[in-house]
Amino acid sequence: MTPVPPIPIQAFLCLSACLLAIGLLGVLVRRNAIAVLLGIELMLNAANINFVTFWRYGGAQHMEGQVFALIVITIAAAEAAIALAIILNVYRRFRTVNVDQINLMKG
Amino acid sequence: MIGGLWEQILSGSFWYPLAFLILAAGTLVPALLVVLSRSLLHSALWLLVALMSTAGLFVLLGAEALGALQILIYCGGIIVLILFAVMLTRGAARPETGVHNRLLWWSLPVVLGFGILTFTLTRREAWPLAQMHGPADVTPRLADALLGPYVLAFEVASVILLVAMVGATVIASAEPKQ
Repeated sequence: MTPVPPIPIQAFLCLSACLLAIGLLGVLVRRNAIAVLLGIELMLNAANINFVTFWRYGGAQHMEGQVFALIVITIAAAEAAIALAIILNVYRRFRTVNVDQINLMKG
Repeated sequence: MIGGLWEQILSGSFWYPLAFLILAAGTLVPALLVVLSRSLLHSALWLLVALMSTAGLFVLLGAEALGALQILIYCGGIIVLILFAVMLTRGAARPETGVHNRLLWWSLPVVLGFGILTFTLTRREAWPLAQMHGPADVTPRLADALLGPYVLAFEVASVILLVAMVGATVIASAEPKQ
């Protein structure tokens, strides 16, 4: 392994900032609940890139960054399973998965 | 002169930025297509490309085990789950309403401003970088950390996965009362 990767850390951080913004856009503007979930997955990936970047550029002596990223991946898997089960149940009840049509609890 | 150039090409200082540029483009362009694509199936498949490029970035950063796990869990598990959900909710797709809601035109500048803000903040900061050599045995040390100081988080994560599996089965198999 090289001491520090031969590109500045800002390259990785800017990449993850752009990825987070794109994921946020997906969460805000899509109608389909599954597409909103895809946006959340993009945002989680941006966070993971940040974790691994700081782990690597911080000297790679301590493994916290990778452990955090691993836990985030695990939680993302659990979250996707639960969210898709809820979406399936909502689809059976309402015949739609559009988040702006499921407004039963709206005052 | 020629020899120096050749040495530079063979060393990491030439290939590393090139690989980073390719992987960054392979992450951001598919991510945009995930958000903008009209077909949900295409969105899920573009997400697959973005996640595989992210795994490549992890490998580039020296976290090989994490890259392999990303491909196994995300590309092998979550994408398949999402594709199943897309196909099971096929009837919900209504072509007459657009895929984007009315928020599009004012959330675009908000998100753009957020992106520019974080972009400038990361560029302004002078990050203190450790100039030490990274260890060669990353994966054994990750295993040591997972079963050493972070064993509680590891076990809690496995319990959460079990609970999520049982919960997802119960929620998805519950028949709605009419």
